[in-house]
Amino acid sequence: MPRSLMAQGARRSITIAVQKITNNGTLDIWNEQSNVGERVFFPNLWEGLIERDWMGNQGPVPGLATEWKRIDDKTIELKLRPGVKFHNGDEMTAEDVVFSFSDERVFAGTKPSNGTTLYEENFKPQTAKELPAVVPGVARRLWPALRGVEAVDKYTVRFHNATPDVTLEGRLYAFGSQITSKRAWDEAATYAIWAAKPVTTGAYRVEEFRPDVSLTLVAFDEYWGGRPPLERIRFVEVPEVAGRVNGLLSGEYDFACDLPPDQIAAVQAAPGLEVQSSTIWNHRITTFNTQNEVLRDPLVRRAMTHSIDRQAIVDALWGGQTVVPAGLQFESFRTADMFVEGWSVPEYNPELARDLLKQAGYKGDVIPYRLLNNYYTNQTPSAQILVEMWKQTGLNVEIQMKENWGQIHDPEGTKGVRDWSASNTINDPITPLVVQFGPNGEAQQKRDWSNAEVNQLAAVMETSTDRAVRKKAFARMLEICEREDPAYTVLHQNAVFTGVKSELKWKAAPAFAMDFRPSNWKL
Amino acid sequence: MPKFILAKLARAFLTIMMVMTFAFIVLRLSGDPAQVLLGPDAPLDAVIAFRERWGLNDPIWKQYLAYLTQIMRLDFGVSMRSQTPAINLVLERVPATLALTIPALILKLGIGIPAGVYAALHRGSLADRGVIMLSIFGFTIPSFVLGLVLVLIFAVSLTWLPSGGQDTYWHAVLPIITLSIGGIGILARFSRSAMIEVLGQPYIRTAMSKGLPWRDVVWKHALPNAAVPIVTLVGFMVGALIAGAVVVESIFAWPGVGRLIVISVANRDLAVVQALLLVIAASMVIANLLVDVAYGLLDPRLRSKRAAH
Repeated sequence: MPRSLMAQGARRSITIAVQKITNNGTLDIWNEQSNVGERVFFPNLWEGLIERDWMGNQGPVPGLATEWKRIDDKTIELKLRPGVKFHNGDEMTAEDVVFSFSDERVFAGTKPSNGTTLYEENFKPQTAKELPAVVPGVARRLWPALRGVEAVDKYTVRFHNATPDVTLEGRLYAFGSQITSKRAWDEAATYAIWAAKPVTTGAYRVEEFRPDVSLTLVAFDEYWGGRPPLERIRFVEVPEVAGRVNGLLSGEYDFACDLPPDQIAAVQAAPGLEVQSSTIWNHRITTFNTQNEVLRDPLVRRAMTHSIDRQAIVDALWGGQTVVPAGLQFESFRTADMFVEGWSVPEYNPELARDLLKQAGYKGDVIPYRLLNNYYTNQTPSAQILVEMWKQTGLNVEIQMKENWGQIHDPEGTKGVRDWSASNTINDPITPLVVQFGPNGEAQQKRDWSNAEVNQLAAVMETSTDRAVRKKAFARMLEICEREDPAYTVLHQNAVFTGVKSELKWKAAPAFAMDFRPSNWKL
Repeated sequence: MPKFILAKLARAFLTIMMVMTFAFIVLRLSGDPAQVLLGPDAPLDAVIAFRERWGLNDPIWKQYLAYLTQIMRLDFGVSMRSQTPAINLVLERVPATLALTIPALILKLGIGIPAGVYAALHRGSLADRGVIMLSIFGFTIPSFVLGLVLVLIFAVSLTWLPSGGQDTYWHAVLPIITLSIGGIGILARFSRSAMIEVLGQPYIRTAMSKGLPWRDVVWKHALPNAAVPIVTLVGFMVGALIAGAVVVESIFAWPGVGRLIVISVANRDLAVVQALLLVIAASMVIANLLVDVAYGLLDPRLRSKRAAH
């Protein structure tokens, strides 16, 4: 930076090239629950009462609330940070928190499970904005039993749940539970207008949003966490990898996100550039459909899980830059003492796989594999490798290329295996195992798979407050879902690669989120 | 003439309706927008609510009738993605695309036709061979290869021009060149062969034997006759002004109609795709109408035929 600018306290602006800015074209946390959404929202724009420690162990840290305590198994009380300003200049108060979890903003009349709505007046819409159909469903997935939020006083709120829940704190820093200004919502003419420029408390505010083109965030100098270090952060959508890499090489972009592993060497070889890689709280998995006559037999599914040399995939396609995790577990579970030590993915054992197939009497019937073209990084080459590995043990898996998720889930025709990913969002094994494979998870809703014992254990996970009981239930769920009656098999942890100018002393978080707050920007 | 125009308009209307119907059916049979837009992890109740909100549970004929009624009222519906009127999204993007395609068309016409005519008039010369070689290069190299090569040279190595985006006039230079190279090559080849064919006609010999200056032979007799097939080709190019830059817009991250097509088709954002197709089909049809009119102006024989009808 020129000395003259430094003398004036001028700040640098940066440009970040991304493949997608948002999937749904809005900046609403409840409408844009995607990896790409996480990147543009957190932690610079949207903030919650409890924040995720993005640069640390992903555990909870005080955010818009300074402290919190349990009143009982179903209730949590939080003290709000005084003097926090919204981008419109208003001070954040309990009224805004209540609004952020209201019927009008998210729940749209949906009822909490196992209970009734508390504080009916909080749930009466006061403006005639039409909430997108997706929002209440997504909100109820994160807060299935929330009865309501009570404003005890200007700086104190209580969250009331219908059922006992040890994960309430986790839910408070999950994607979606962030706070917006009630006045800004009331003043916006339509939902679309509000969602293009939501008024939040973040270090940066929205200056301009052009869906599918660019998003410009500008420093909010009244930010409670100190003066933001950057003047402007501009995300630009550059769909082609070559475009992002070339823009980084030519110096137009300061960051190029979503680099595939095969581009790492090219960027690292360029002077003044580096690639930061980080594994994220998301595992790539392959799921089974037990409606399929062949896959109905757990022995065949078990054979499939033992046929995969996962480390070979990680080495060949990811350059060894990611890891094979301990089943559907995340390191973040350790912060809640819910990590099952000694658990691992099924061992790579082709002999065992052949033996299991023999026991199952498998005759080489075709198992369809509905596949999207690289929706996930390296998805297609991974699938090709998997098919070859399965072939080595005698499994006849046939790839069927599909164009979109609608075609993947089309009930017409025979399903077999398909790709998916599983995210940990609240540092508790409830995500992803219960949320994705429990009785209300998509796997069971789509009739891919179900297991009565897993459903009983899921209820224990959701309602028990005894950590030991929950951990035992979780360990048993892993045994069933990954060994006895496989619902899925974990392939590897996902990772993201960001090309960045080496002069910028910035660190990538183990997440899609990019932290540009004062603590992570030193020039 | 009015009868001719009316017949053309009726045909244009029918073409547009067929395009719209085809698009309506294909889009609905090739993926559930609720599942596509909400993604792989969407809760079932959210998918159900989405389908109800957008009438996706109705029988397809009912959806089609509702759609036709809407179109007749010039209501193109609302984007499922952004909850804003679909036609606004489309019209917002048209200027950005025209900012690339119109200059590219001018380059194609301004370089391609003169180069082809010059090559034909100097058939067999070094210049002729040069034009042939360059035109083959122009129309055989795919735009996604050419675009990337140009970026590597002018943006990465020389850093003279930006590699992508739409911030300044300079950002348009490489996309315009990429878009125009292929068209220049095609027009040069086409103009050359059209001129060579015309120059071999008996009326050219007659004109020359009458003692007309060579310049008059070329301008008054050869060029107008060679123009008819060239106009057909130019008609296609004019018709592609709105939708002809899909690949180039993706390479250069240029936020035009092409990018919107890719995004809205991928997301099955039905109203936007339909509005896009309507605008694109209308531009094609209008271009065809203009070509028909131009034929009449260029070729008196066609005028008299129509009059006889």
